Amino acid sequence: MAGGRDRGDLAARQLVFLLPEHLKDASKKKKKSSLLFVKLANPHSGEGATYLIDMCLQQLFEIKVFKEKHHSWFINQSVQSGGLLHFATPMDPLFLLLHYLLKAGKEGKYQPLDQVVVDDTFPDCTLLLRFPELEKSLRHVTEEKEVNSKKYYKYSSEKTLKWLEKKVNQTVVALKANNVNVGARVQSSAYFSGGQVSRDKEEDYVRYAHGLISDYIPKELSDDLSKFLKLPEPPASLTNPPSKKLKLSDEPVEAKEDYTKFNTKDLKTGKKNSKMTAAQKALAKVDKSGMKSIDAFFGAKNKKTGKI
Amino acid sequence: MKNPEEAADGKQRIHLRPGSLRGAAPAKLHLLPCDVLVSRPAPVDRFFTPAVRHDADGLQASFRGRGLRGEEVAVPPGFAGFVMVTEEKGEGLIGKLNFSGDAEDKADEAQEPLERDFDRLIGATGSFSHFTLWGLETVPGPDAKVHRALGWPSLAAAIHAQVPED
Repeated sequence: MAGGRDRGDLAARQLVFLLPEHLKDASKKKKKSSLLFVKLANPHSGEGATYLIDMCLQQLFEIKVFKEKHHSWFINQSVQSGGLLHFATPMDPLFLLLHYLLKAGKEGKYQPLDQVVVDDTFPDCTLLLRFPELEKSLRHVTEEKEVNSKKYYKYSSEKTLKWLEKKVNQTVVALKANNVNVGARVQSSAYFSGGQVSRDKEEDYVRYAHGLISDYIPKELSDDLSKFLKLPEPPASLTNPPSKKLKLSDEPVEAKEDYTKFNTKDLKTGKKNSKMTAAQKALAKVDKSGMKSIDAFFGAKNKKTGKI
Repeated sequence: MKNPEEAADGKQRIHLRPGSLRGAAPAKLHLLPCDVLVSRPAPVDRFFTPAVRHDADGLQASFRGRGLRGEEVAVPPGFAGFVMVTEEKGEGLIGKLNFSGDAEDKADEAQEPLERDFDRLIGATGSFSHFTLWGLETVPGPDAKVHRALGWPSLAAAIHAQVPED
């Protein structure tokens, strides 16, 4: 790259990626490409998201992007704006199939798998049908029957909730092992017995794990799972503070705020906006499309679990 | 109506160039605690690297007159770091990805081929097992967000592991 033509922003964008180590060997045996980045439907939102598929090992990987404000990379003899770090982590492809089974399940009848996994917007979902192991795991979420040696499947909400409960349980184990801080509450040990603290903590772990799993299922199913796990509703007093009575007065109403402050704010806001250059705007657009921000993993869940 | 670019985007595949992960040369990475608004070549070894000092307090450097404090961060176990670059659009892929005439390839032809004309390539140009994380005036420390992010792979492994049998 040294001495190369200076292309400024036109230089090819360098992506910093963390990939499972074994993928190095995946491309060793075969010279034909078996690793593909494809656009598939995100099972939570239904929108397009980028996934990595290893067609040889028949493995699916989720792409998550870690982005922190005001960061950039030096890479060898170059600078890369944005400071993004991409993760490709193994993903259970059953979450993707569940997205289609839920749709087909509304008809309430048995169907062959190749009629369930159909998507005009994301036709590459059919690549998942080349995973033989995946068909074996369908029993976790469907009732199946066989006619003339062909298999038919119908979505089962009972089985799915049991499967998701197991997912939550193994996630709780990992949260504890990783010492993830799941509760924002500050508790004084002087006021609580060990047992009570332990019980409250357990609920926080389950709630946090439920939030993580909810990234892979639609909201409706997430609510059903919450009930299935017997997670209590947040206390009503916290969400609905008692409203104050309106104070009435005979005195004439006078302006209490200096509205010129807002003008000042607008000017400041304008200044802030003008600082963002065209390059930064373009970068912001590119980076966000099709990729889920890992901030959602850390920030949003903390908000959910935080209690006042 | 969708524009052709968008329509293609939903169906376009990006193939990882075979062998590029294994063949990627070691790369040196620094994560800086500031916005650099352009992506371009930079004389890092000429101006930044010589100024990095390693003393009892750890790594120190400066960038545009601001003091930086750094630490080495390892890639999570089981993972490898790569710098990836997407290759230019427009190059036809047919024939390019088939680097040998193995009999194995014939078996693949029974199914729809994975490569199409409008697909694109991405390849690894560098690999790394650790990088230097810099904080502005202070060492990032264990509370840095990037450390929490690096814990994601082990959580993801638990979420996506197969459930135990009944």
